[in-house]
Amino acid sequence: MIGLSQPESELAASDNRAKRTDGPMRVLVIEDDREAAEFLTKGLRESGYIVDHAADGREGLFLALSEPYDVMVVDRMLPGPDGLSIVESVRKSNIATPVLFLSALGEVEDRVAGLKAGGDDYLAKPFAFSELLARLEALLRRTGTPPENTQLKVGDLEMDLLARKVIRQGKRVYLHPREFRLLEYLMRHAGQVVTRTMLLENVWEYHFDPQTNVIDVHISRLRQKIDKPFDKPILHTVRGAGYKLEPAA
Amino acid sequence: MQRVARIFSSFTFRLAVVYTLIFGLSVGGLFYFVFWATAGFAEQQMEAAIEAEVVTFQESLARAGVQGLIMAVNRRADPNTNRDGVYLLVDRAGAPLAGNMRVWPQRGVTDDIWINFSTSDNRGATPATADVRALQLMDPESGVRLLVGRDVRAARVFRERLRDSLNVGLAITVALGLLGGFIFSRTIMGRVESITRTCRSIMSGDLSKRVPVSRRNDELSRLSVSINSMLDQIERLMRGMQQVSESVAHDLRTPLTRLRSRLENSLRHVDDPTQRSAIEGALEDADSLLATFAALLRVARAEAGTQRNFVDIDLHTLAEEVADLYGPLAEEKGLGFVTRFEQGLFVKGDPNLLAQAFANLIDNAIKYTDNGAVTVVLTRQKGQPTVIVCDTGPGIPDEYKDKVLERLFRLEQSRTSPGSGLGLALVAAVAKSHGLELKLEDNVPGLKVLLRFPLGVVSQDPKLLGAAPAKSLPAPEKDRDGAEAAAA
Repeated sequence: MIGLSQPESELAASDNRAKRTDGPMRVLVIEDDREAAEFLTKGLRESGYIVDHAADGREGLFLALSEPYDVMVVDRMLPGPDGLSIVESVRKSNIATPVLFLSALGEVEDRVAGLKAGGDDYLAKPFAFSELLARLEALLRRTGTPPENTQLKVGDLEMDLLARKVIRQGKRVYLHPREFRLLEYLMRHAGQVVTRTMLLENVWEYHFDPQTNVIDVHISRLRQKIDKPFDKPILHTVRGAGYKLEPAA
Repeated sequence: MQRVARIFSSFTFRLAVVYTLIFGLSVGGLFYFVFWATAGFAEQQMEAAIEAEVVTFQESLARAGVQGLIMAVNRRADPNTNRDGVYLLVDRAGAPLAGNMRVWPQRGVTDDIWINFSTSDNRGATPATADVRALQLMDPESGVRLLVGRDVRAARVFRERLRDSLNVGLAITVALGLLGGFIFSRTIMGRVESITRTCRSIMSGDLSKRVPVSRRNDELSRLSVSINSMLDQIERLMRGMQQVSESVAHDLRTPLTRLRSRLENSLRHVDDPTQRSAIEGALEDADSLLATFAALLRVARAEAGTQRNFVDIDLHTLAEEVADLYGPLAEEKGLGFVTRFEQGLFVKGDPNLLAQAFANLIDNAIKYTDNGAVTVVLTRQKGQPTVIVCDTGPGIPDEYKDKVLERLFRLEQSRTSPGSGLGLALVAAVAKSHGLELKLEDNVPGLKVLLRFPLGVVSQDPKLLGAAPAKSLPAPEKDRDGAEAAAA
């Protein structure tokens, strides 16, 4: 969400997240488990996506190479070419469509292998559908991200990455380094639901389940600094999903 | 050198030493008997010879009187025929009549008729001096006294020779016994050691290893065969258990995942707040079940973990980051959060697993402490990098200190608090796969957990000094963003 102007981020309403100004998003789901695929396609369609489903690697690869998609959800273990080789072939054909890997293998090395093959994110099964949606959203927004910008702005909240400075309503907000990184991630994904797992993975780079919800504590500390002294909250909790940084309407 | 020292402390060598000692004692006893019997026999023989001679002299005296005895004694004392005989015949006044001595010995031990003495008064005999054992007798009729003796020096030399050779024999026996024991224990130890080595590598996770079996069908190779078949069985059981737990986890996770998706889907079409909260509650339950399954699988994977993903880790960075994540949690609860991290401690390991182990320890400490402080220390103990997490909570009674490391075990008082009972089990599994020593101690009050790294895994690469990344994931989010954007 770098440099997005305010009206646009307001458009990203939570109910039809996939709908943007340029119409619904196209997603390709390559998943061999019939029931899982059914839930995925149903859920994604209800969330406003146009979904194509491929039940094996061959069909999936064909679709991925011939149709223009905005994002792909690829299971790693498939009959025919497996998920890794599909994505490798897609990348070799210079198709930069973001890919989210799904896999029952949640180990770090599997994750690294998936990212190396050209995947953009990796989600271990089983997952909450809200987690998948949030990650797809993050991937879709990323393709629209302008080149590295050192000035982030969400509503009346501004961040200067070079000066390590945060200003809201013209007032300086002092943050610890980790709080700064947390806010930076939230600002880059403003208007999207960001899950706790996404925060843990991207801000702390941990790939395990902390028994207690430590992320909530960090968020509440951040709120103390960026929300409490001001009249309108900007950092919202999305029930059952995560958090969202969104300027007050 | 160390190997030699190991041989001395080995069981087989001690056995050999004890055996040699017993054998040496019995050989010594045997030699003593041989010595006593042989030396005594020579003495007896000599005395018998003297007595026989005396009998002939008595016969000469009876047959031909004193003159005849003089002739008989002189004949016997002739140095050409007799070399070690000592003879002396004196008259009533003590004047010598015959024999190869001139003076009746004054000194010398006299026990009734036998006498031992040394003399150089030995005319004609080849050795000028002699140690003599002699028989003395007197004829009451004529008043002559007769001394018949033998030089015992030859016998004594024989005796000494015999003693010396028996002693040398004994020494050789003991030396050979010890050498044999040394070689014997070295051989046995080599084979036992190879069994131990195999068992050790199996314990550290390599189930495919087998004890080498020699072609000789001896006790040790039979032992090896038994161990191997036992290992086959263990491997089968482990594989079976792995398969079972994996398929159970999979078979249960799949329907649970579907249940979860169904609930999630239905939530989107329900507006009634009571129904919504019921579905949300069910969702939470499904999530906690899924989390427990995931944790069980993680413990199993950490336990079976191989060391192939191990990288150099700066423990200081790793500890700082985990503390950074959990510190606010402690402060939120009103607890003190004290950290003391020593710099420059590097180990080899899986950063994600180690971070999770530290996180679980700190999380537990915070969870079970209601007031006081949580202290996290990274230091060097006996040269080994050690992580210590202390709390001031209720602690764990001694009898449960091992139990809490098991899967799904929870203390009675903590059953009501949230948690799966897998936190410490994961720490134990990580400790196992990393070869760490995990110790639970009393902090009076509270619990003190020590994680000690083995010396062997400490990496001292000077290149790592400074900022070593603790994470294995290649690029942080920010950089990936940038790269992605540049590609787009």
